[in-house]
Amino acid sequence: MTDQAASRSGAPSPVPAVQPRGTSLRTFIAANQWVLLLALIVFLGAITASINPRFLDSRNLISILEQSAVLGLVAAGATMLIISGNFDISVGAMIGLAAVIMAMLVLAGIPEPLAIVVGILTCVVCSVANAGLARAFNAPTFIVTLATAGIFTGIGLALTQGIIQQVPNDFTFLSGTRLFDVMPLVFIVSLCGYLAVGLILRYTRMGRRTYAIGDNPRAAFLAGINVSRSTLVLFAINGLLVGVAAVVLISRIGSALPSTGAGLELRAIGAVVIGGVPITGGKGGVLGTFLGVLLLGVISNMLNMLRINPFLQEIAFGGLIVVAIGIAALRSRMEPSR
Amino acid sequence: MAHASVVPGPEHVHLDGSGPILALERISKRYGATRALVDVSLTLAPGEVHALVGENGAGKSTLMKVLAGAVAPDAGHIVISGVTRAHLTPSSAMALGVSIVYQDADLVGSLTVAQNVFLGQEPVGRLGLVDGATQSRITRGVIDKLGVDLDPDSLAARLSPAQRQLTQIVRALRTEPRVLVMDEPTTSLGRSEVRHLMGVVRGLAARGIGIIYISHLLDEVLEIADRVTVLKDGHTVASRPVAGLTSGDLATLMVGRSATAFFARDRAPVGDVALRVVGLTGPGIPHPVSFEVRQGEVLGFGGLVGAGRTELMELLFGSVHARSGQMFLDGQAVRIGSPHQAVAAGIGMVTEDRAASGLFRGRSIRENLAAAWTELQGPVVRGERELATRLVDTLGIVAAGVDQDVSRLSGGNQQKVVIGRWLAIDAPVLLFDEPTKGVDIGAKQEIYRLIGDLLRRGKAVLLVSSELPELLSLSDRIAVMRGGRLVDIVDARAATEQGLMRAFLGVTDD
Repeated sequence: MTDQAASRSGAPSPVPAVQPRGTSLRTFIAANQWVLLLALIVFLGAITASINPRFLDSRNLISILEQSAVLGLVAAGATMLIISGNFDISVGAMIGLAAVIMAMLVLAGIPEPLAIVVGILTCVVCSVANAGLARAFNAPTFIVTLATAGIFTGIGLALTQGIIQQVPNDFTFLSGTRLFDVMPLVFIVSLCGYLAVGLILRYTRMGRRTYAIGDNPRAAFLAGINVSRSTLVLFAINGLLVGVAAVVLISRIGSALPSTGAGLELRAIGAVVIGGVPITGGKGGVLGTFLGVLLLGVISNMLNMLRINPFLQEIAFGGLIVVAIGIAALRSRMEPSR
Repeated sequence: MAHASVVPGPEHVHLDGSGPILALERISKRYGATRALVDVSLTLAPGEVHALVGENGAGKSTLMKVLAGAVAPDAGHIVISGVTRAHLTPSSAMALGVSIVYQDADLVGSLTVAQNVFLGQEPVGRLGLVDGATQSRITRGVIDKLGVDLDPDSLAARLSPAQRQLTQIVRALRTEPRVLVMDEPTTSLGRSEVRHLMGVVRGLAARGIGIIYISHLLDEVLEIADRVTVLKDGHTVASRPVAGLTSGDLATLMVGRSATAFFARDRAPVGDVALRVVGLTGPGIPHPVSFEVRQGEVLGFGGLVGAGRTELMELLFGSVHARSGQMFLDGQAVRIGSPHQAVAAGIGMVTEDRAASGLFRGRSIRENLAAAWTELQGPVVRGERELATRLVDTLGIVAAGVDQDVSRLSGGNQQKVVIGRWLAIDAPVLLFDEPTKGVDIGAKQEIYRLIGDLLRRGKAVLLVSSELPELLSLSDRIAVMRGGRLVDIVDARAATEQGLMRAFLGVTDD
């Protein structure tokens, strides 16, 4: 992720400061996992295309992007959280809650834009509440969000009495819209999510805080970083992205259930890990997540195209995470052990 | 593991004659282009305390690893009690009676002393269960023989640093070693605890155990050791009896240059009051503390471990909330409720434990240097690279570039990065808590030079140090702390080590 070292030799001592490393290819791949992901995507794509040329059909490629949009938005938020050493496993439940609230508002005659704002705000409030609870009880966010996931789903069930909420057709404008008649708007929206997270991580004070807190929260606190406030902000941004994901999702499927987003949180965490963010935080970036999400989309599409049992998709998902963990282990082995 | 070894052996290890218990003969080890050890020889007699000194990177740890069986030397051989080996393995080292007290090996807090002592080598009774009673009994036996105050059944988390160190020693002694290697055993101990440990080491030597004692603290070495071997760049510079040596001699041998500049700093002109503290109390500081520090002045804080020095620094920096009291920076009342507010007000703190609470080990030098500075800038980070480049230059940090991982730097350079973080914000008040702990003499001198530079630029420095010579030579005035109370502030030029020690202990007679 980091730029090429600005090789500046103002150092007064002749002692070589750089330790000998392994072979340069191995080092490069370990440090730039995204190259590996890109190669894998191209490789799988090439195989699929050679068996079924329809894979390369522009409509098919675009549908991959379209289908990756919701997961992409959620995974972009998860990237920030995981880098900061936090997890939100209530995002699936949050999406379900926001979706049913939006659907019920629209059905009750509230204007759509207002319903969308309320839906997104619901996610922001839920996410901030997660961080607030974790802070109040000094508890890991993983456990707090495990608890709130149940609460959010329960609220959704109570609101709907478990009845599916059909939304009117005009709510689906978002998923139906294509820029220049080709690019799905939802993909552009998810791209904006990635871009926002990428810019925040790389160029802003908030990004520096995110890495610092994830690397060493005690040192971050002692360097003058307001760790708990920063964590609240991170969760607020996460809530915003999850809220947008809820809007995209409801627009795509045209109906809402409290269980609508179920399982997204784990797929998102998986995509982040496949993208190369260590589960212990402090490192990584959103480019890997983007490719991780894309890879999952390509695999799912490929299994469809090749008429392979779709159950294999779950195995592929799990296998990829194992490979990602393996690469992480390889990387840490190459780092100095002091 | 071998059950026989857990049974306490005879009171003394009898050896024929007074020949060496251990001889390292012309040991060489090379890592790539780096020659870590070149023809290093060392002999250890039974009952001898043999100090091993040298700067970081001089080869001490490699030599220790050779003894532990963790590293096989390229050339030379090792003779232990008459058995000659080209290299050792961890198990053969143990079988031959070599035991090591590592510097940073920690205890498992949720286990008892006895469980820690037997960790990984638990005696197994019937049914394959761990025999806790035997563990406690044998541990108690070792403790009694050592003549120290330690309960085998107390939880490691409840132990003081000194007791933790003793537990490490008990652990090393359990296998009845003939050679005991101690790596920086006193770094986390207070003055009186060091005294006690010295007594323990002498007792072990009297039992005929040969002890290799690795330390940065030269006074300690002179006090405890019979012989000293000085390593420099992998070579043996000297191996001789300590009688007649001074710490200055040793320092000269270690650094290969005259050490007269070691503890000298030029006094900067002292300016206005930079920080005034009135009636500060908080956790660990039950009695109101008041003092002032001027620009260009070092106010040292001396006292025994537990006197409240670190606690006071934490109150000043806001990492712990004060209960009462006021602080004035440049005459203006400030409220410091968090490190965030301290940084905004212009107070920086270099913590005692840089790895745990100072560095972002997975991040670059650039981000580590800019961490506090970024907090005072706008939401978009600009000029970070220029700042880091300038600081690397000013501080003389030896690195390939500002994007290098900070964890790849040597200990001294890491410490400079931690200090550089506060140079970045040009903090007018700096708190240093044991800034030279665990760094070698060369890096120490650079840190002293840095503090000197800060003073010339009118910064006020608060220095906590457990090394009396350091405290005496760096400070303008020394605040004496005892039992959470600031009892006195003395002029450093008029103070002596003995006088300070008496003040720390509260000796008031005569």
